[in-house]
Amino acid sequence: MTQGRRSFRNPFDLETPTGAEGWESMYPSYLQFGDELRERDEQKLWFFDQMHNPEPLYPFDLMMPESWLVSLNQYTTRVWNLPTALGIEHRIVNGYLYLSPNVIDDPAMRAEREPVFLERARHYFDHWDEIYDNWVTKATDCIDRLKAISFFPLPDREPMETVLRARGTTTAFDLLTTYSRYLENMHEMAYYHFEMLNLAYGAYLTFLEFCRAHFPAITDDLVARMVAGIDVILYRPDAELRRLAARAVELGVGDSLKSGAGPEAVIGELRASAPGRQWLDELEAVKDPWFYYSTGSGYCHAKRAWIDDLRPPFAALSDYVRRVERGEDLSRPLEPLRAERERIAGGYRDLLDDDDAAAFDSLLALSRQVFPFVENHNFYVEHWHHSIFFNKARDLGAVLVAAGLLDADDDIFFLHRYEVYRVLYEAEARWALGVPTRSEYTWRKEVARRRRIHAALEQWNPPAALGVPPEAVTEPITVTLFGITSETISRWLAAEDADGLEDSFAGLAVSPGVAEGVARVVRQVDELDELRDGEILVCPLTAPSWSIVFARIAAAVSDGGGIMSHAAIVSREYRLPAVAATGVGTRVVRTGDRLRVDGNTGVVTILERAGVAAAGAVGA
Amino acid sequence: MKGTAPAEVGLDPAYVVATESCLPQHLGEVGGKAVGLGSLLRAGQRVAESFVVTAAAYRSYAASGARELSPAIREAVGRSYSALCERRGAELTVAVRSSATVEDSADASCAGQFRTFLGASGVEEVLDQVERCWIAAFEPQVRSYRADRQIDAEDDGLAVIVQELVDARAAGVIFTQHPRTGDRSLVVIESSYGLGEAVVGGEVTPDLFEVNRITQSIHDSRLGAKPFEHRLAPDGRSVKILPVDQGRQRAWSISDEEVMTLLALAGELEAKLGRGLDVEWAIGTAAGQQSEDGGDALFALQVRPITAGSRQPTAVSPNRDAVDHILGRLAGRGPGNGP
Repeated sequence: MTQGRRSFRNPFDLETPTGAEGWESMYPSYLQFGDELRERDEQKLWFFDQMHNPEPLYPFDLMMPESWLVSLNQYTTRVWNLPTALGIEHRIVNGYLYLSPNVIDDPAMRAEREPVFLERARHYFDHWDEIYDNWVTKATDCIDRLKAISFFPLPDREPMETVLRARGTTTAFDLLTTYSRYLENMHEMAYYHFEMLNLAYGAYLTFLEFCRAHFPAITDDLVARMVAGIDVILYRPDAELRRLAARAVELGVGDSLKSGAGPEAVIGELRASAPGRQWLDELEAVKDPWFYYSTGSGYCHAKRAWIDDLRPPFAALSDYVRRVERGEDLSRPLEPLRAERERIAGGYRDLLDDDDAAAFDSLLALSRQVFPFVENHNFYVEHWHHSIFFNKARDLGAVLVAAGLLDADDDIFFLHRYEVYRVLYEAEARWALGVPTRSEYTWRKEVARRRRIHAALEQWNPPAALGVPPEAVTEPITVTLFGITSETISRWLAAEDADGLEDSFAGLAVSPGVAEGVARVVRQVDELDELRDGEILVCPLTAPSWSIVFARIAAAVSDGGGIMSHAAIVSREYRLPAVAATGVGTRVVRTGDRLRVDGNTGVVTILERAGVAAAGAVGA
Repeated sequence: MKGTAPAEVGLDPAYVVATESCLPQHLGEVGGKAVGLGSLLRAGQRVAESFVVTAAAYRSYAASGARELSPAIREAVGRSYSALCERRGAELTVAVRSSATVEDSADASCAGQFRTFLGASGVEEVLDQVERCWIAAFEPQVRSYRADRQIDAEDDGLAVIVQELVDARAAGVIFTQHPRTGDRSLVVIESSYGLGEAVVGGEVTPDLFEVNRITQSIHDSRLGAKPFEHRLAPDGRSVKILPVDQGRQRAWSISDEEVMTLLALAGELEAKLGRGLDVEWAIGTAAGQQSEDGGDALFALQVRPITAGSRQPTAVSPNRDAVDHILGRLAGRGPGNGP
């Protein structure tokens, strides 16, 4: 350990949770700590990627981090040649994903990369709007091609057409080639995901730092409000629900939606009447794309999108119908929001001297120019594309079930994507042989073993960080997206010392205001049902689609997330006090505790523990 | 350094002048406090009534060697005090404060080095307190301060302000930008119970409010320790130090609405007098001056440029365009990347 500097736990000293022995076999060795690099790795900071992967990784879902490991990092290292940073490394520890940024300290290397970087990055900034327009075309086309990919079960007998057209290859061969195209499609989308993101965050961060230099007390939230777009597609899914609720009241079918009977029953009831069918047609019309809206970060197959699970949007519709009937106008008036944005920006600008005001104007203008990408890519990539991607994996799972190799469609998620190649080959072989093979037994058994390990890993509480913190954290993605700064690290170190027994902790103030209320710790989207009006939501991460409960809560506290995290963008929209990146919230707070959440300072205080009995059961 | 004496009020030479007439160029004769008050009056603010005993009076007193007030000075001060009482319709209780011609200037703030007496009433008491202000100027610590700053007391003289006392329920100081960080988006308000002396003299830890002037919201607040307050005695003729009970100590000395009123005052004054002000204020009553609804009114008692607190260095050079700033930041030349 480095002398004089505080450290987190050594990643090589962690124990395997009981029942999770052998977890390493689920994941590739290049994503795990190993003795070869031990001396190097234990001297680095590794932070838990709570934002994208709050749960133990499913082997198939590793496609997502493994995609950005190459796409984001290629942009940093090889395309832009960022003078200050190399790639962000990944390590899996007890099934959880940890990340470590790499900074270039060598002045000679920085100097060598700088002119290359300046020329390349300037080209993008100089042609930003044109490149962004083209980006939308590329992303939409990639999604269209993904939609066109289909996996069909192997037929009992090869179709006659193969013979008549003398095609030579078979449907089993199609299955393999289609799977390749499917993986390539995800890989391609990952490049688009990060094509403009480093530069956009860089622009935002520069403006943020400029504001902080002149106004040390300015909150991240105020800077975000000056920059954030008003008409952003990330808000569209919720806006469509509000519109549909108003339509339901107009059509006189509001009562059906309010019944709380569950989507299937509600839809059945609506089908029985002409206005109900009219409303259902209108619902269908908005589903593609607006219901491709994940209840998670879009990185885990288990967090279904609205298109797959109508319960979250129907719960919101029920609430919205009530509000429309009470006479509330649920539409989101854009003009006042625009005026507010200009008022804040103008207010700060007017406090600056002329030269500084000119710099403020140009930095703000450029931040606003790049910001639609930051806000909108999230819908195109994480919600729309990823939701379709995971559903196609289920289709492939069904093919493997039909081929007799797996028990359930979802079993496929316990296989790494390259293992799936092998399983597909085995399915093809079995189909070719027409006699029993060991494959029908081996993969079922392996999946059952992995399910048990995964369940055991879920019980483990991953520390916010491991290893040795650097002197300062400056890498733009780490700072802007993950919300990790030198202050975050100090907070986490302090929280580790306190071991979850302190009565206050701090995070990033991402949405202003102060609220007090009773805590509800929610780890999964299906637990949102338990939430009662006026409670404070305490969760690992607030995904944008959770926003439908925000009309009912008093404040939000999340373990992860930065000021530009997907959640923070939507939280501010609801004008609720919110604190993110506490690192410890779900561990320290218990449902029923009375909290005060200060969205101005980022401090969360436990005012009162939920009952003496509960307080005695620490560590339970 | 020497200014021209302002318009005469009573006698010649101008030993006493009207505060309204004190302009910045009169600094050498009337002192910084009077100039500040003059600017407040001309800006149309509600200010407690006052008049100024000039440095000319002090010089005449110092030169006489007799160490007693000349009839001319007695006459001038007496007449102005009576006129003030007449306008108010009562024998007024006043504060008598030195307004040094070196104090309150932007680069040499020595607030608190001079004398303030709260609660003089009647001509004799007022005259006595004016003389005590002059005598205080000879005290060793003031002389030493002046010597350090190479300020010649005899030459510059000392003015004295006689100002109607506001019976303050709460009072304190507004800084129109953060005094430490120079953050212009914050207005910092210090407040305690009673007259402002407790805050200005550092006698109590005041309640602190940092208010974001753009969002019009309280950015941060800290409850102070306010064990006592200076209040006007029931007979209205003297000021007493009274204990503050536990309940009031744990409460805020002003309401959120009053914080917002003070924020508005900060904005008004900056618009009229320029950026970076330090304003003494009081909420309370003064004879004949109440708010429209008859309750307590807000008075500005003093204003001066903030002396402490420098702005952060400019983060970027103004001549580069936004793309240059951003590329520079990403290339590691921006803030946060260390030396």
